[in-house]
Amino acid sequence: MSTDPIETLDADPLGLAPQVSRELRPCASYTLRVNGFERPVTDAWIGESLLYVLRERLGLAGAKDGCEQGECGACSVQVDGQLVAGCLVPAALAADSEINTVEGLSAAGGASDVQQALAESGAVQCGYCTPGMAMAVHDLLQRNHRPTEVEARQALCGNLCRCTGYRGVLAAVQSIADARALEAEEAEEAALAEETAAAAAEQPVEQPGAAPAEPPVEEPVAEPPVYTDAWIEHVPQPPAEEIPATVGTGHGLPYGADGQGGYDTGVYDTAVIPPVQGIPAQAAEDQVYFPQQGYPEQPYQATPAHGTYLPPGAGYPDGYPQQPGYDGGYDAPVYEPTPAHGTPVHGAAFDGTPAHGTPYVPTPPHGVPAEGSAPAGVPYGATPAHGIRLPEDDHAS
Amino acid sequence: MLPASLDEAVDALAAAPAAVPVAGATDLMEAVNAGRLRPAALIGLGRITELRGWRYEDGGTAVLGAGLTHARMDRPDFAALIPALADAARTAGPPQVRNVGTLGGNIVTAAPAGDTLPVLAALEATVTLARAGATREVPVSHLLTGLDPVRPGELLTWVRVPLLHAPQVFLKATGRSGPARATASVALVLDPARRAVRCAVGAVAPVPLRPLEAEAWVAGCIDWDGSREIDPAATAAFGEYVAAACVPDGYGAEGAWEAVTEGPSAASVRLRRTVSVLARRALGRALK
Repeated sequence: MSTDPIETLDADPLGLAPQVSRELRPCASYTLRVNGFERPVTDAWIGESLLYVLRERLGLAGAKDGCEQGECGACSVQVDGQLVAGCLVPAALAADSEINTVEGLSAAGGASDVQQALAESGAVQCGYCTPGMAMAVHDLLQRNHRPTEVEARQALCGNLCRCTGYRGVLAAVQSIADARALEAEEAEEAALAEETAAAAAEQPVEQPGAAPAEPPVEEPVAEPPVYTDAWIEHVPQPPAEEIPATVGTGHGLPYGADGQGGYDTGVYDTAVIPPVQGIPAQAAEDQVYFPQQGYPEQPYQATPAHGTYLPPGAGYPDGYPQQPGYDGGYDAPVYEPTPAHGTPVHGAAFDGTPAHGTPYVPTPPHGVPAEGSAPAGVPYGATPAHGIRLPEDDHAS
Repeated sequence: MLPASLDEAVDALAAAPAAVPVAGATDLMEAVNAGRLRPAALIGLGRITELRGWRYEDGGTAVLGAGLTHARMDRPDFAALIPALADAARTAGPPQVRNVGTLGGNIVTAAPAGDTLPVLAALEATVTLARAGATREVPVSHLLTGLDPVRPGELLTWVRVPLLHAPQVFLKATGRSGPARATASVALVLDPARRAVRCAVGAVAPVPLRPLEAEAWVAGCIDWDGSREIDPAATAAFGEYVAAACVPDGYGAEGAWEAVTEGPSAASVRLRRTVSVLARRALGRALK
């Protein structure tokens, strides 16, 4: 991004910079509510997309910039609980909306179950589409706890992946849905057990040393959280009061440059950055890549020498089906004469050519869906949603 | 900038006629991102809740708010009302776009491949344009063809669609199986009260086209009082008729002269085949 003409105008008393007035480059200041934190944005051009503001002004680089046309889904974020393409939302108009980004999924510090499942099911290769996929899957499972495969495909039809395809993602959707259902069931059982226990106790017993029901609610810190996947370079920082207010928030300086030769990745104050934690999925990965040291214990059995007689019952040691020896008698198949004409063949019952005069049921014309062939959830004759294969797709004329 | 009511929005637009009213912004931001548009100001219409729903009006008319999103139009309650519009909304794009893209935006942008446009043209919808202190009604086809365009300071507020209580079909052909721009789309609605078939072909021209002669001809082939059946051959002929009416010989050719001398271009032959299949299937599905 080149330098901001407005800022240049202020800093250029000779007027050598192009005379661009605020009329031609209207700007606005607003506050975005991202993942529960108020993030002020000052003097931003009104044409900036939410994606641009999130990435370049607020330092939330999770949403990716793929096509800037709403085709690829890499920039998917949630605005007011709805999945939208971040590149197609004017940031100025999202001012008092609740914005959730992929960084908010892992706000607790570790990867959320969605991200974990995507990683484990092999849905990640280059990873560019993955934040968008994670948001799409998160959004789908928020609205629909048990999505069918077709529903999952419909929900993901706006997210393009050019590396691995979509099977891993679809598998991840199912595994998350299963895991969550199991979790909910367990929680329900636990609640039920607690209830019965409480009923069995009859009289209320003072619990010794019972912890207070609610820990003191901490005030939300003013600083936004630093996400564990954020890359932060620790550079010696000048004292905070020396940093001009525009650092990292405007176009005036090259992004992130603090004028001291160092780079700041955003508006974060490095003084309060907690230590970056490790990626929590490590244990699971270890299991995948280093399954077991050594081979399973099995006595080595050399191939017997040629001509060694193998008794018919010996077979192969490791469970191959027993082969008939050459010495065995030849079981000649029992000869069955060809049945007479008209004899019903085994299996499908032959019900004969219909008698003359049977009313003829014509084959329906092309384009008329067969009885009951309309996909579920789609009114008869309607264009079904994406992801449903139509009968006529196979023989489009 | 973010007016909460229609009156506020109209006043804001009157105060700043150069401002761009924005609802879903999916088309606007695509142009802005590509550097084709630099808006002087934006008036966000997303907070005007009255435009995000619909209401009924006497005389069998549904009045749809311009801020109705495609995702909302896809829901079953709306699909029972105007099935073709629901179908068009369902296939209009990925969920990320359908969640914010609106009906009014689709009309005002008037993209050739806008999926709701042939449906509105076939339904002969009218739109309400509001100015400070005044409104006017314009048929949607007049708006789209530029016969009666949106004037500065006007805001598209309502879309009036007749409720026909008869089968409606929207079909589109795309380049891939996922959400994509239509290469051709056909909307076909039956109007049993007037014994008419209304059909519009989208995406083959800058505006949706109505093959009026083909409509009149096929309406005469239908047994309206009985089981509303039609000879399959007539359905096929209707498809050919629509295709010939909507796709000119010189479609996709360099100049009109070439088309006249060399007969139909390869592109027009291909597109006619697509349109004829869509129209044939649409009629077949509408009549069952």
